[in-house]
Order: sequence, then C-alpha cells, then structure tokens
Amino acid sequence: MLENHWEQMLSTAAEQVLETMFFAAVYGPAPEGEPADAPRFAARLGFEGTPSGILTIGVSRPAAHTLAANFLAVDGEDGLTDAQVGGVVCELANMICGALLSHVEGEEHFRLSSPELLPDAAPAACQHHQSLDLGDGTLDLWLAVENHAA
Amino acid sequence: MAFRILIVDDSPVMRAFIRRIMLVSGIEAAEFLEASDGREALGMLRQQWVDVVLTDINMPGMDGEQFVRCLEADDLLRSVPVVVVSTDATEGRMHQMLSLGARGYVKKPFLPETLREELERVLGEAYA
Repeated sequence: MLENHWEQMLSTAAEQVLETMFFAAVYGPAPEGEPADAPRFAARLGFEGTPSGILTIGVSRPAAHTLAANFLAVDGEDGLTDAQVGGVVCELANMICGALLSHVEGEEHFRLSSPELLPDAAPAACQHHQSLDLGDGTLDLWLAVENHAA
Repeated sequence: MAFRILIVDDSPVMRAFIRRIMLVSGIEAAEFLEASDGREALGMLRQQWVDVVLTDINMPGMDGEQFVRCLEADDLLRSVPVVVVSTDATEGRMHQMLSLGARGYVKKPFLPETLREELERVLGEAYA
C-alpha cells in the first residue's frame, strides 16, 4: 500500500519553496498562542488526481509582507499593496502545492486549479495541519485529501 | 546577443519575479513581453517575433498544454522555442510537455541559476 506522510510532506514542501524562491527560513513549528482570528492573508487551491484535495494556506500579515518584499525585491514593505501581497501569497500556495504533489507516491499527473484569495484562513475541516514559524509570523497549512491510500 | 523573451503566466507577480530573476542572472534581454494566457500569447506571436517563450501550464483560458499544441500545429510558430516554467513537478507532466514540443522544463521552485542554465541551453540549441 502506498503511504504518504502528509504533515512531514507539508513542512518539507513549504521549507523548500520558502528557501528557494522567497529567501526565507522556517524556524520550526510555530509557538502556541497566535489567536486564530489574527489578521492574515489566506489562499486556497484544489488539485485533481490520486489523491485529489484542497490546500489552504494562511500567512500572518507581517510575514506575508516580508515574503512579498523578498519575492518582488521591493525595498521596504510599505511600497507593497495588499493586491501584490495577496498575489504573492497565491503564488506561494501554488508552489507549495506543486512541491507537495511531487512527493506523492504513485501518481504521475495532477491538475491544479488557480489559487484564490480567501477572506478567512482556517477551513472548516481538514485532515492535516502544520503551523510553521517564519520569524516574524506564522505560515499555516491545511490539507484535505480524498482517494488516498494512507 | 540580446533576446526578446515572452513570459506567459496568469500571475502578474510571477511574471515580475521571472523578469527580475533573468535580469539578475545575466540573461541579456532586449525586451520582455508578457501575456496572461496562451491565447493572448498566440496573438502576440502572430504580430511579432520573439526568441524564446517561457510559459506556465496551469492558467485560466488557454493553458500551457493547449498553447504548446497550438504552436506545434502552426507552421510559422513551430520553430519558436518554448521553456515550461511550472509548479507541476511530476515526471509524467514534464515528459508530456517535452513530447508535445516544449524544448525545456523548469520546475518551481527553482534557483536563479537553474532558469538561466535551461534558457542558455535552449537558446544555444535554437540559435547555434
């Protein structure tokens, strides 16, 4: 039986993307205590294949601005609009999802939907969750999968 | 030699990122052109020549797979080299796009030197 260790795969994919494309590091699991309703940017995208599923990410606002400034090489985060930061968070979700699926056992081909920005971060229900410390905020990852062997 | 490069991606921030990475990587670009999907890119290619196309796969409208199929079916545009830049990192997808006619494939996330090396390889083959 094919088995995927989703929590570990989520962390690995996020670290790989952040280090390579956003020049940012993950400092480990996020410390407890950030309120669930803390302001953040959130994005979601679906994927079809075996398995199919939905990945949702939430990035606290300071961390999202830092990531966007790194990605776009903007000096000072004040020059960034919310639309730019949102676009970067969508691209972050897109790349984490692609990196995650490249580690899935057994599947040759997935179709990813376009990422969309969300007004609220946390999905109603999901099987897998990781919360990572980015130094100036947190990156939350929620994954819901179906048709999976593990 | 400076190149005219068409970037096809529905994400404006990703197009800006690729443009910046190419500039800091030392790729000599005479001009960057941008399109948000394959259909817009086809329209631009029918109006003006470019040396190389960098395209995403997952885009609303005409996606990268349809775009490469259209280029291959067009006698005038078939020779334009295409490099796929995609989050779809599965081997099956990469082989599919290369067999359809793409000359190169860069998986996101990528290091700047990876994009530069793939572009140099493809441009070297196309204009040797």
